[in-house]
Amino acid sequence: MRTHVFAFTLSIIICATARAELKWEQTAVELHPTPGEKEAVGHFKYQNAGSQPVRFKSVHTSCGCTAAQSQKDEVPPGEKGEITATFKIGDRTGTQVKTVTVQTDDPINATTVLTLKAVIPQQLEINPTFVFWGQGEALKPKSIVVRASKEFPVKQLRVTSSSPDFQTKVEQTGNGQFKIDIQPRDTSRNMDATLIIQPESSTKTFYAKARVTNAASIQ
Amino acid sequence: MRQAVILAALALLPGIGEAIYFRDKVSWQSPIPASEMVTLTQARAWNGNTIWVDARPDAEFEREHIPGAVLLNEDRWNELLPQFLDSWSPEKRVVVYCSSQSCNASREVARRLRDEAQLKNVFVLQGGWEEWLKSRK
Repeated sequence: MRTHVFAFTLSIIICATARAELKWEQTAVELHPTPGEKEAVGHFKYQNAGSQPVRFKSVHTSCGCTAAQSQKDEVPPGEKGEITATFKIGDRTGTQVKTVTVQTDDPINATTVLTLKAVIPQQLEINPTFVFWGQGEALKPKSIVVRASKEFPVKQLRVTSSSPDFQTKVEQTGNGQFKIDIQPRDTSRNMDATLIIQPESSTKTFYAKARVTNAASIQ
Repeated sequence: MRQAVILAALALLPGIGEAIYFRDKVSWQSPIPASEMVTLTQARAWNGNTIWVDARPDAEFEREHIPGAVLLNEDRWNELLPQFLDSWSPEKRVVVYCSSQSCNASREVARRLRDEAQLKNVFVLQGGWEEWLKSRK
């Protein structure tokens, strides 16, 4: 029995010391970009804690919106480095989770999934962003609710219709909350308008769409 | 035999430990109800009643896309949504695609069309652009 314990311990020690091993400082990064930032960049630092060099075979991202780069193709024992993941924010909002899959020639830990979480503040929540009337539908206004987030207080909202066929009325219904009533001049013909929504405190423009359409909805 | 079982059990321990430790850190793709997915054959059968929506980045759309597809991605959502809505009508079904089965952009665009624009009949193409390419061969 003593021999078996010794053999087992020895095999563990050999495995632990002889292999290549990329140790990651962190495999998950959470970022909080500020409004207006175009990119969120995550740094995933590693060190080769083994006695063999580690080669990167591939670095793949889960989304076309994220680019990942490794500084080097091979990491000698003891050396440090990082994988940089750049997430293009665009018009995304809310919590975005993107992954980077790193494959190495380390036979024990060949695949590592790095997670980049970006919490993107939503300046204005517009719901819905589209209102429409069927041809001949009763001439009643439809509403769009606009809520400003606590971080970006909005005191005034300017709404402009791209077409005189639609009238808009903005009403403040609460702190940072607005109701936009939209009404077409008539519903006897097809028409549409883009509604340009401009908070007084922001340079960013938001859009909604209004339309009178002749087709009946399918279910 | 007993030793082999003991060794196998010991080898499992780190895996179990890691699974427990990282249980909240694994990024799973949001499941999408089967009713909101559509195969290429189904979408083609709808014929003229389909609006194809390309959720890939601009450069990939410009390289090639499904004929007649409208570009609508989250990179330029605010700008592209009104353009998409110009081509939308209530009797049409919207089929969103991205690069492949594993990409998530089509699911996100479909979700936003349902939640934010409150559109009905929005579907995600199974297999995405890759599936379309395969069908051409």
